[in-house]
Amino acid sequence: MKIYQNSNEPIYKQISAQLREQILTGKLKEGECLPSIRGLAQDLKISVITTMKAYDELAAEGLVNAVAGKGYFVNAQNSEMLREQYLRQLENALLTAIDSARIAGIGKDEVISILSALWTTD
Amino acid sequence: MKNSIKLTDVVKKYKDFTLGEINLEIPCGFSTALIGSNGAGKTTLIDVMCRISGKNSGDITYFEKYKEADDNYVRNNIGYCASNNFFPAEWTSKNVAEVMEVAFDNFDRKKFVQLCEKMKLDTPDSKKKKKIMKLSDGNKMRLYLAAILARNTKFLILDEPASALDPLMRDMLCDMFREYLAEDEERSILFSTHNIADMEYATDYAVFMANGKIVEKGFVEELKEKYALVHGSADILSKVSDRLISYTGNKTMFEGIALTENRSQLEKYDIAIEVPTLQQLSVGILRKAEKDNEVK
Repeated sequence: MKIYQNSNEPIYKQISAQLREQILTGKLKEGECLPSIRGLAQDLKISVITTMKAYDELAAEGLVNAVAGKGYFVNAQNSEMLREQYLRQLENALLTAIDSARIAGIGKDEVISILSALWTTD
Repeated sequence: MKNSIKLTDVVKKYKDFTLGEINLEIPCGFSTALIGSNGAGKTTLIDVMCRISGKNSGDITYFEKYKEADDNYVRNNIGYCASNNFFPAEWTSKNVAEVMEVAFDNFDRKKFVQLCEKMKLDTPDSKKKKKIMKLSDGNKMRLYLAAILARNTKFLILDEPASALDPLMRDMLCDMFREYLAEDEERSILFSTHNIADMEYATDYAVFMANGKIVEKGFVEELKEKYALVHGSADILSKVSDRLISYTGNKTMFEGIALTENRSQLEKYDIAIEVPTLQQLSVGILRKAEKDNEVK
C-alpha cells in the first residue's frame, strides 16, 4: 500500500481507495479478512483512528462487514455494485470535462462530437 | 465506548493554580495526546490520575470499575512515567531491573534486556553500566521507557516522553506506541506533549488544555473535519476575521482556524481552506484559549 503523508487527500481516504480497488477488482476475495486495524496502523506508521476510519468507510459502503471481535471481512461483490462504482467514476470524470468545457466556452454539441470521435478511434 | 480512566468533576487546588473541573474519559484501545502550553496543567492532571498528588474533589474510575490507584490490579496495569528523574541517580539498569521485578507482577526481565539493546542502553548484564546520573536526558528517558514497556500493562501514562528524545528515537517511540496498541486491543496510552508535530501519526485522540481546564477534545480525524485551516492575503483578514476562531498575521498574510460549518461563507473569498495538521490545529485552539484568558 502506498500512502502520501503530505497530500491533500486525507490518509484514511487513500487507504480506503486502495482497499476498495482491491476488493472491486477481486484481488481481495469474498470472505477474506482485512489486516487488523492496529496491525495495519503499525505497518503504515499511522494512527489507529485513521485506519479505523478507512475501514468504517468501506463498511458503510457495504464492501466489508465488521464482525465483532474478529475483524473486517470482504462481502460478496455483485456485478451491479461494480457497475455502480464505475458509473460514479464516469460521472465524476464527465463533470470535470464539463467544467473544462465551460471555462473554454465549448458548447454541449461540440463536447458530444469530441466524445464520439474519441469513442470510435479508441 | 470503553475507557481506561474516567474523571468526573476533578479539582486540584494550589495556592496560585487550580486544575479543573476536569471531566474526561480516555478511550480504551487508542493513543491519547494531552496537548497544552507550558503551565497549562498537563503534569498536574497526570499526577492526580496516578495519585502522585491527591485531588480536592471529584471522582476517578480506573478500567471502568476500580476507584483506587493503589488497587493491585490498577497498580500492575498502569505504566506511569514522569518527565523528571524517578529512579535514584546512583542506580544502573541492573538496579532498575531488580526493583521493577520485585515491585510489579508482570515485569519481563528478558523483554527489558531486549528493549535496552534496541535503544542502545547498557543492559543489566552489560559488564560496564553507567549510573543514571551519568546518562543524558535522552538516555534517561530511554531507560524509563524500557522499564515501563517491559511490563505487561493495559495503560501507559507518560509525561512528556518525547521532549528529551532525538528525532530517530521519537520515530522509534511512535513505532513502540503502535506496537503496544497492536499487541492487545484493550490497551491504551496517554501521553503529554507541548510539541505534537512529531507525534501526530501516533495520536488517535487529543485533549487540549489551557489554564488548568480542558478546552477541546476529540478523535483526531473528527477534529480535522470540525476545523479548517484558513490562510490568505493580509488585506482579506478584516473581511473574514469574524468567522475565524483564532488567527495570526503580518503585513503580508494571515493564518487561522475556522469551523468547517462556516466553509461556504469563507469560500466566497480568495483564501486557502485546508484540512489542518494536528500541529496547526493545536496552535489554533491554544491561541484561542490564550485570547479568552486575556479577556477574562
